[in-house]
Amino acid sequence: MQYQRLANWKTVNSLAGLCDLPHPPKQLFYQGTWNPQLFTHCVAIVGSRRMTDYGRQVIEKIVPRLVFEKKTIVSGFMYGVDQYAHEVCIQNGGKTVAVLGWGINRVLEDADKKLADAIVASGGLLLSEWETQKPTLWTFPVRNRIVAALSADVIVVEAAQKSGSLITATIAQKLKRKLWAVPGPITSRLSSATNALIAQGRAAMWLGDGPPVLQKTDDPLLSLLETQALTASELARKLEKPVEDIGAQLSLLSLTGQLTERGGKYYVGQN
Amino acid sequence: MLVKINSIANVGLETIPVDVEVDVADKGFPGFTIVGLASKAVEEARERVKTAMVNSGFDFPPKKIMVNLAPADLPKDGAAYDLPIAIGVLIASGQLERLTADALFYGELSLDGTLRPTRGILLLALYANTLQGASIFVPKPSAPEATMVANVTVYPVGTLTDLVRHLNQTIPIKPLAHDTIRTDEEFDSGESDLKDIAGQEQAKRALVIAAAGGHNLLMWGPPGTGKTMLARALPGILPPLSPEEALEVTRIYSVSGLLAPGTSILTKRPFRSPHHGVSAAGLIGGGSSPQPGEVSLAHLGVLFLDEMPEFSRSVLEGIRQPMEDGAVEIVRVMGHVKYPASFTLIAAINPCPCGYLGHPRRACTCTQKMIAKYRHRLSGPIVDRIDLTVLVAPVEVEKLSVTTQADNNTLTSRQAKLMVVKARAIQSQRFTGTHLYTNSQMKNREVKLFGKLTAEAENFLKLAAEKYDFSARSYMRLIKVARTIADLAGAETILPVHMAEALQYKQLA
Repeated sequence: MQYQRLANWKTVNSLAGLCDLPHPPKQLFYQGTWNPQLFTHCVAIVGSRRMTDYGRQVIEKIVPRLVFEKKTIVSGFMYGVDQYAHEVCIQNGGKTVAVLGWGINRVLEDADKKLADAIVASGGLLLSEWETQKPTLWTFPVRNRIVAALSADVIVVEAAQKSGSLITATIAQKLKRKLWAVPGPITSRLSSATNALIAQGRAAMWLGDGPPVLQKTDDPLLSLLETQALTASELARKLEKPVEDIGAQLSLLSLTGQLTERGGKYYVGQN
Repeated sequence: MLVKINSIANVGLETIPVDVEVDVADKGFPGFTIVGLASKAVEEARERVKTAMVNSGFDFPPKKIMVNLAPADLPKDGAAYDLPIAIGVLIASGQLERLTADALFYGELSLDGTLRPTRGILLLALYANTLQGASIFVPKPSAPEATMVANVTVYPVGTLTDLVRHLNQTIPIKPLAHDTIRTDEEFDSGESDLKDIAGQEQAKRALVIAAAGGHNLLMWGPPGTGKTMLARALPGILPPLSPEEALEVTRIYSVSGLLAPGTSILTKRPFRSPHHGVSAAGLIGGGSSPQPGEVSLAHLGVLFLDEMPEFSRSVLEGIRQPMEDGAVEIVRVMGHVKYPASFTLIAAINPCPCGYLGHPRRACTCTQKMIAKYRHRLSGPIVDRIDLTVLVAPVEVEKLSVTTQADNNTLTSRQAKLMVVKARAIQSQRFTGTHLYTNSQMKNREVKLFGKLTAEAENFLKLAAEKYDFSARSYMRLIKVARTIADLAGAETILPVHMAEALQYKQLA
């Protein structure tokens, strides 16, 4: 696939996070359609290559919500947690950035190639700081610093002790990124490091529901409901809008936790 | 002398030819016997025929008269054999010329010799249509039913005397002109128009979705908020019956004897609203010779179950099979009969036994236990087959007052029907080559095939499934409803906004 060199990435505002690094990348190469907006709200999802079924379920739970909140999912394109996070993101119509642990011109194998194509087709990017570098032991930890630097939040899904994800976690901490870890069963080796991150107080516990996203409060619908609880029909009449539009809006606001429905009436806030 | 007259028997919606054999013997003890598994009503034909013949000025021969209704093992019911028996006796006793073979006789006699309205005339005509160039002699009041069928000569018979004069070729009866089915009549909203219902925008919207996708609908709300009026408005916004459908509906009403005399064909979709005291036989169909029940009378129309939790559980469970198959099979000693029963179910429930739970101005007097018990009476498997649930809340007083100006943006039944017809056209295009007609009929496989979601819409659905803990069935149901909403909007794929609206009609928690 065609790749391009991003000349002068330092002039791109949304990539300013990379400047926090003690050794920022000299240059960047990418595949896909360049869109600086991609980097405004990035969340990194990292974890073990040997993902368990639990890890899979965790990703299926947390990624849709992040996509819904219009976050870009950043990960390292390694099989396991990384690739599954990219995959679920695309399935949910989200945008994702894969930071490669090798040069951008390397030819990918079947499954990897398929995923890479899907990422590009869905409006995401493949990113690397090298053009022709072979993947070796040292390239992956180096790649991890970019993953952490690009993101505002870093979520560690599943990691064993001495996992590469812990490198990302450490860098994220140093860069003062918000570090999260998903708690796991204490019997699982692949949750030992994530549980440890929480126990040591290094990472916050990610429970999946997250704080409600507060949208603009000048929404006439929300301000109407501030004073009294109303049904969809009443709202449609008061706002003089078709009930189908009101209904869709109410579902959306309920889903994000800004409204609660009880007995057909809508209330502001949760519960 | 032995005479054979052609007639028919209707078993369910099936028509079987019956030979009425009449023998008037010169030898033997005078008497009048009918054999051939005749029911009480047929047995009594003896007295009606005898009196009607005498009162019409004919002789009733004092001889041994034997009538056989063949095939002998098929049970015969109803009074429709009066006319063939009378004609048979008249010919066998030499008071009338022999007939050509291609005439069918069917009708109940009154004691004065006039013919009374008889059920099943349309089925007779449809059967006669399969014979080449047949003519039928039927009671005048019911004769219009037969005019919709081509290639049949329909003679409306007023009295026995008229018929004899016609057969003797003295005063001929003029056959009825053949008519064609016109279902594209001027718009008629039926019993209630959406624009006459105050407020309830969301319930009206739900009705439009139900009509467009053939979805079943559950309305819940306190008494007197317009649930019944809303349900009655549904037939008016359903697409018009096609000629084939009109014939199908009329057939059921014809065998049930529910067509008013003089009616030729039903062009409006039926609306049935059985009381909650209805028996299983009344709802599903039954009787010793099985008659169609409410589910079949609502075929291609609307079955409205008001106060659904008040229906007896065992009776209600009976509508599961017809909801699934669009037909109902009734098995009785006399045989088994299949009636079509493809209807849209509209169920109405109160929020609690007293009805005022959540009412803005009145207090509910029910205990938690009573409410739980009431909700529990809803049959799970039936609720599972209901795609849309909508609240019909009390309307504020100012909205009701007659003096306030009517809103200009109120949806009328005429507009709603146009939307529905458009959405149905999209569906029939999508489902060409399949056995489906509406979105509600899609099974999981078809939902995967036709329910194309954008990735964002799927994302939305997944989040909703997580938050409200949907079962796999609810998940599929939402996609089906969203598909109909997208069709109403004319959209190719299901967008998040359609999914979001569909979520408004999710089941009660």
